[in-house]
Amino acid sequence: MSAFDNKRDSNLVSRIIIFLSPFLILLFFAFIQILNLSYFQAEDFKTQSESNRLYQSKIAPQRGFIFDSNNILLVENNIQQDLEINPNFIENPTIFLRQISDLLEIDFNQIESDFYIRSTGKNAKEPYLLIKDLTEKQIAKLSVNLNKIKGAEIISSFSRNVLHKEVMAPVIGYVGNVSKEEIFNNPELKSYKSLKIGKTGVEKDFDKLLRGVMGFRIQERDSFGKLVRNISIEPPSKGKDLKLSIDFELQKKLLNDFKGRKGALVAIEPKTGLIRALISSPSYDPNLLNTINDYEEVKNLFSDKDSPLFNRAISGQYPPASTLKPFVGMAALEAKTISWEKEIFDSGEYLVEGDQRPYKGWKEGGHGNVDMKKAIVESSDVYFYSLAYDLTINNLSPFLEKFGYGEKSGLTKNESKGILPSRKWKLGYIGEAWFKGDTINMGIGQGYMTATPLQIAVAYAALANKGEIVQPRIIEKIGNSETVKIVKNNVFLSDDKNWKRIEEALLAVVEASNGTANNIYDRNIRIAGKTGTAQVKSIGETEYKLLREDKSLRDHALFVGYGPVENPKLVVVAIIENGESGSAVAAPIVRKAINLYSKNEK
Amino acid sequence: MKNNPLSFSVNLRINKNQNQSSQFDYWILLSVVLLCSFGLAMIYSSSNSLEMTIRQGIYFLAGLIGMLILAFSNHRKMEVFYLHSFWPVLLLLFFVLLFPSENSETKRWIDLGLFTFQPSELMRFILPISAASFLTRNLETKIKDMWLVIILTFFCFYLVAIQPDLGTSLIILLAGLLPVIIAGFPWIYIFLGGFITILFLPIIWISLYEYQKQRILTLFNPEADIYGAGWNIVQSKIAVGSGGLFGKGFLNGSQSQLNFIPESHSDFIFSVVAEEFGLLGVCILFLIYGILIYRLLLVSIYSPNKFAKIVSGTLSIILLAYISINISMVIGLLPVVGMPLPFLSQGGTALIVNLLTIGIILSLRKEV
Repeated sequence: MSAFDNKRDSNLVSRIIIFLSPFLILLFFAFIQILNLSYFQAEDFKTQSESNRLYQSKIAPQRGFIFDSNNILLVENNIQQDLEINPNFIENPTIFLRQISDLLEIDFNQIESDFYIRSTGKNAKEPYLLIKDLTEKQIAKLSVNLNKIKGAEIISSFSRNVLHKEVMAPVIGYVGNVSKEEIFNNPELKSYKSLKIGKTGVEKDFDKLLRGVMGFRIQERDSFGKLVRNISIEPPSKGKDLKLSIDFELQKKLLNDFKGRKGALVAIEPKTGLIRALISSPSYDPNLLNTINDYEEVKNLFSDKDSPLFNRAISGQYPPASTLKPFVGMAALEAKTISWEKEIFDSGEYLVEGDQRPYKGWKEGGHGNVDMKKAIVESSDVYFYSLAYDLTINNLSPFLEKFGYGEKSGLTKNESKGILPSRKWKLGYIGEAWFKGDTINMGIGQGYMTATPLQIAVAYAALANKGEIVQPRIIEKIGNSETVKIVKNNVFLSDDKNWKRIEEALLAVVEASNGTANNIYDRNIRIAGKTGTAQVKSIGETEYKLLREDKSLRDHALFVGYGPVENPKLVVVAIIENGESGSAVAAPIVRKAINLYSKNEK
Repeated sequence: MKNNPLSFSVNLRINKNQNQSSQFDYWILLSVVLLCSFGLAMIYSSSNSLEMTIRQGIYFLAGLIGMLILAFSNHRKMEVFYLHSFWPVLLLLFFVLLFPSENSETKRWIDLGLFTFQPSELMRFILPISAASFLTRNLETKIKDMWLVIILTFFCFYLVAIQPDLGTSLIILLAGLLPVIIAGFPWIYIFLGGFITILFLPIIWISLYEYQKQRILTLFNPEADIYGAGWNIVQSKIAVGSGGLFGKGFLNGSQSQLNFIPESHSDFIFSVVAEEFGLLGVCILFLIYGILIYRLLLVSIYSPNKFAKIVSGTLSIILLAYISINISMVIGLLPVVGMPLPFLSQGGTALIVNLLTIGIILSLRKEV
């Protein structure tokens, strides 16, 4: 070969090297980048790759069961299958949702709007339940086709099921999603966001116990979101079971008497404070709210003008009316402004100097000469007007307070306190000074004074206990541990015999021929009690007759009683709204409750 | 060549007729077999499909046989064949555009029932050989011949680019132009061509498909849309980075085992290597590739034959281009273009073509 050729050859080789070099340089940079990734940033990428494959998810605990005092199951959990979707794995939402809607035969627009509401929210990338409570047919279809649909998975969850719906609703309450406000008030709820928590009733008061403890699960998932394996599982622990003090059979039978009526009933065991029946009528089906499937129904429930969701037994504030009279009498005895024997003439109306308008008694013409016992038995208004007038509010209010009027009984946070008026209260709330007339009205449990059926029951339980104020409770057992009786207060009277004498008077209300509740007299099980007629509007007799036409303005009928007198087992308060006559409407229910309960106890 | 300073070359000449096997470069064979076996293991790891692995293994054996046949053939007799084989492959390129396989969105494949193959792959293999053969017909390469090769190359580039297959079309451009350049195309034209290309870049950008533009844009900010176009890059970077120094172990790469890397058995197979064998594995891989390319370059350096120089030079550059571009794209230095990693990525045509390329260079090696 010639030198020229050699030169040309080396020219060729140099050209090869020249055109090889850019790729060598590129490879060099690539190597630097690999070094950077797998040496200098390795830890960072290791974490990223872990978070890629590992998913931590919560396992919902099962809510505790609820039983009645005879261990009848009241609330259980249904297992339901839901469709959970993970937005991270959905490539094309429209195609995805179309697949789902075709497969499950559900409205595309519905799930599309659900999806977009959710996907524009704060937790857009978190998995959530798109379709709840799948039918068996849907589950069957899904389990065959799910492996073709990226980002969807069937998971099971629990839904709350109240077995005896209306009967137990006011006691049990219902559950619902955790609201922002609830998390604000109790940050602990943040980790229970996926669960439903108690909104009212026992479900709310004992939510923390019923709720249980969340479990956790770390899963390895592939890029399609499909489960590869469970890496670790910490199982959830079921919430505690509750045994209520409620006697379900009693409650059920008593609810029958409230059919078509608005009202409330509280039956409490005076010695223990255990509530055996608690009724608020009209009631509702808590399952409608536990698993909201039909928004229309729920809307109707909330807008019902009879307010079935309102618990009248613990939150309804009624004038205690004549049921307050024994306490007014006792207050006067304590203040020594009256004696058992002293008679007052009841002409049917009570006049106070300086007042134009007479204070009318419920009975036209009055009761004639009445002493304390007769005044209670016949429920003389004029007698107690006079008593209250002499007693003054400064003596009356503090005495009533001892029996729990004007304060929460301690059963639940949701109860109302009622109103126990005083000079200070009126100035603060009404902005007016206290008038003598206010005291007079209060003497018969009217005017500003209000109390919940529960408060009346607690006060009468104190009468049955001869002064022992027991905190009411509705839970007998939490898990395996029994709840204990709490004595809130002991009321002492200057003369201990007065307890007995008041009881005799209350017994006579039922048993004397002139007693206002003589209609429920039963010699076998003796009941001491007191009727009451709470005025919805305070007006005179003649005006009332016109007003009666509007049923919602008719007086509320009250009766509170306890029995058997020898050994009181149950104190029962019954209020029938617009029922007018305490003796005719409310007293028979109380009689029935005490009879049923005493028989069961034997 | 008497004065060749390198003794081993002289030795080879002396031994020429005594021992046929001594002319054979076992380094090349060894590195190719190592790479392919490693590739099979990685394909199995990333696809978890024995079927796919066996299929690739069959391609490997077929390619290996083809490679050895070519290696022991007389390339001087083959040159005429190489020269004319350009035309039937060009026809195939037309064919694939006119009668595309129905299984794919792009018009790349010819379906032969039993297997499919890509004429563009065949073209990037045939083009430099037939071009080199054409350019070295006469002792002096005519500039007119060079222009003809350039024109035909751009034509082929166009045919592949509209399939569309940007990656392979660029390689074809390289495969056709490199022989011309190596053969002595005047530098002035080369610089002029490069200058014009830069001027035309905006026009090229406009003519790109939307997904191709997207891939290039994604390069600059892959994290912007983690579930969209940037997904591949982000996930393969995670795979490479999380492999660390020594890797997660064979079959233990969570990124590839759990399908976080799309195409992990083909274009992104490098990320599986890096994830499962770490930086150490990458270094070993680089070493084997290095040995291979070094041995291939020796052919072009020491072969007295101009044809051999051009062919082995071009093919080594193309091989290096594939390796460097593929790896750069996997780790996010370059846009994602469909370019497999030679000998490792799943894909029959590419593997066979690569093996045949090696076979031809081995046959040239005998000339040394």
